[in-house]
Amino acid sequence: MKKTLPLILVFIVGILGIIPFLIPHPYVQKTDDFFRNDIMKIVAAFALVLGLGSLIRVHYDKIKRHRENWQYSWILLVTFAVTAIIGLFGGVAGTGPLPTRISSFHFDIQSIYLNVEVPLGSTMFALLSFLMASAAYRAFRARSPEATLLLLSAFVVMIGILPFGDQISHRLPSFAQWIMDVPNVAAQRGILLGVALGMLATALKILLGIERNWLGGGE
Amino acid sequence: MNLSFDPWVWIGALLTLAIFSFLYRDNPFYKVAEHIFVGVSNGYAVTFYYHLILVPTLFNPLFRGRFILIIPFIIGALYFTRFIPKISWLVRIPIGILMGYGIGASIPATIQAYIIKQVQGTILTPYNFQRWHAGSTGIVWSIILFLGVICVVSYFYFSREQKGILKVTSRIGIFFVMIGFGAAFGYTVMARVSLLIGRLQFLLGTWLGIIK
Amino acid sequence: MSFMDRMLKIDRRIIYLILAVVVILPMLFNSPLSVRVMDPVQKLFNAVESIPPDKAMIVNFEYDPRDVPELQPMALSILRHAFTRRIKILVLCLYVQPLGMAQSALTQITEEFNKNAKSNADSILYGRDHVFLGWQPPPLVPILGMGESIANVYKTDYYGNQTDTLPLMKHVKNYRNVGLLISLSSSDVPRYWIEYAQNRFGLKVGAGVTAVSGSEFYSYLQTGQFSGLMVGMKGAAEYEEMIAKELHIKARRKASESMPSLTYAHLVMIAFIIIGNIGYFARRRKK
Repeated sequence: MKKTLPLILVFIVGILGIIPFLIPHPYVQKTDDFFRNDIMKIVAAFALVLGLGSLIRVHYDKIKRHRENWQYSWILLVTFAVTAIIGLFGGVAGTGPLPTRISSFHFDIQSIYLNVEVPLGSTMFALLSFLMASAAYRAFRARSPEATLLLLSAFVVMIGILPFGDQISHRLPSFAQWIMDVPNVAAQRGILLGVALGMLATALKILLGIERNWLGGGE
Repeated sequence: MNLSFDPWVWIGALLTLAIFSFLYRDNPFYKVAEHIFVGVSNGYAVTFYYHLILVPTLFNPLFRGRFILIIPFIIGALYFTRFIPKISWLVRIPIGILMGYGIGASIPATIQAYIIKQVQGTILTPYNFQRWHAGSTGIVWSIILFLGVICVVSYFYFSREQKGILKVTSRIGIFFVMIGFGAAFGYTVMARVSLLIGRLQFLLGTWLGIIK
Repeated sequence: MSFMDRMLKIDRRIIYLILAVVVILPMLFNSPLSVRVMDPVQKLFNAVESIPPDKAMIVNFEYDPRDVPELQPMALSILRHAFTRRIKILVLCLYVQPLGMAQSALTQITEEFNKNAKSNADSILYGRDHVFLGWQPPPLVPILGMGESIANVYKTDYYGNQTDTLPLMKHVKNYRNVGLLISLSSSDVPRYWIEYAQNRFGLKVGAGVTAVSGSEFYSYLQTGQFSGLMVGMKGAAEYEEMIAKELHIKARRKASESMPSLTYAHLVMIAFIIIGNIGYFARRRKK
């Protein structure tokens, strides 16, 4: 029952997902619409809330047991609480019951997003350019003909896509574009076909109850 | 130099420098900034879950008499049984519903978009030759593409020992894969450097006012 | 230790410093570079130009703060193009984080247009010229639901207005009233639109993607599943070039301004790889 019911549910709901593609009858489409708009939307919203709950639980646990770097968990929980309060009570556009402005200084949810989250998120990924430069110097070696081909292709694309490439030779950007349009497409398409067939196989296995890892451990 | 006096710009700049300090070595400023990022992004998400999903989709219709929504409410609430060991198996129900529908919908979509369309784009037809704006060389490029796809697929075919003709085609396939990955690497370098340029433009332009 | 060995063991922080200097120096001279427009971007521009006057365009913002330098210039150029041509726009997100990016871009462009507007007819008005639909999870719900009814999926917009009361929504009911959808994304999302919306409802899809994932999407451009494609900061610069040249839109071209820094950074990366390989082969020969 604990495993059978979910497996039967996946099969039935999976068939419900396939049928609207095959039967355009308005009754079928309306039922599909109802299922998606009224059931899936709300169930999915709870899934997201669960993710948040887990995050809070993990960090609360870290603080309670004084695990390594537990002090930083306080920062996480406090900033989460402050942002959530400003967003929930200040409103999406800063028009809620909580005032989000002192003179000309706005601290609504959008200001926090643009001035805290955007700099932090952008900079974390900007670090990758430095790490890439270091890796390029230390690790990218033409150890074999294949690796040499990879590096040569990279050089052509890196120079060809820029205005500098056009100044070296008018044909270079066209050659770089040809690399993207022909050999790159051949490679990506070959990989894509394999991945698509694999995805199909996995989808069918889950639908038919052959693949059961998603049930998790336990009974 | 035209230093900004906007407090938010200063906050953004200091947080940016805190993250960049990781390049020297891991340090408390970086850790603080990292945790602020996770806290703020989750607080941001909560705001929109409430205002854009829970209120207009669940609470308002429910209070206006649409009691059928109690069904998805109960199904969604089953997610929280994950924290109660005795009945934690009930979490499989909402997971099964969302996953089942997604999988079902993806089967015909995958076949059509990823397999049929991609094969259609590969086979040697006059329509495909015309798709290349290069004129008569379009036929040559189409043949190269066709052979390339077959060779790449043969490279990833491991159900048989790669010898004879299969060895030849898979060797050609690996060359196509290396050219493709090289192109992808070239683009990745552009992507990563673009992110750095964006951050430096903010620090030098918006914050310090050294550049326009 | 030989010179080559010392070169190969150089502190990584010196490498970081060289990269930073090479990126900063061109910025001090602020000289945007004109770029050659290639076919994928030209196709996207033409696709936007050929949207019939009675149809709207959907812009799907799907990028996080980390992708701002690559995708924000694309978003701004697309919005400028659409508003100049008076194409009605619907904006939506399939995930929560891009909402802020969408609002920021819309606010910037509507302020830019309304600053120069002389009358209501010239202005960009919310509800009449564009609607920000917001976010409804999971992604399948809006992608499939909008094929039947957009107002059914988004009962309220981002600001809490009832969508069926907005003037724009009286004419745009579902995908049949949409001429093109452009997905600006750093992930697989443009594929979802092809897989579900295009397959089932025949929706035309274009994409603006980050350079990291860009090479994967050329397969869809070749089959015609994408009507056009912008890749990375170069793609953004090409679109900026198109709208400046064809529509005479005078606006800050952030992607084009970054081309000199990008050029020198690429040359430095190539130099690093070559020097690293010279050292590697020299060491191998010694052994």
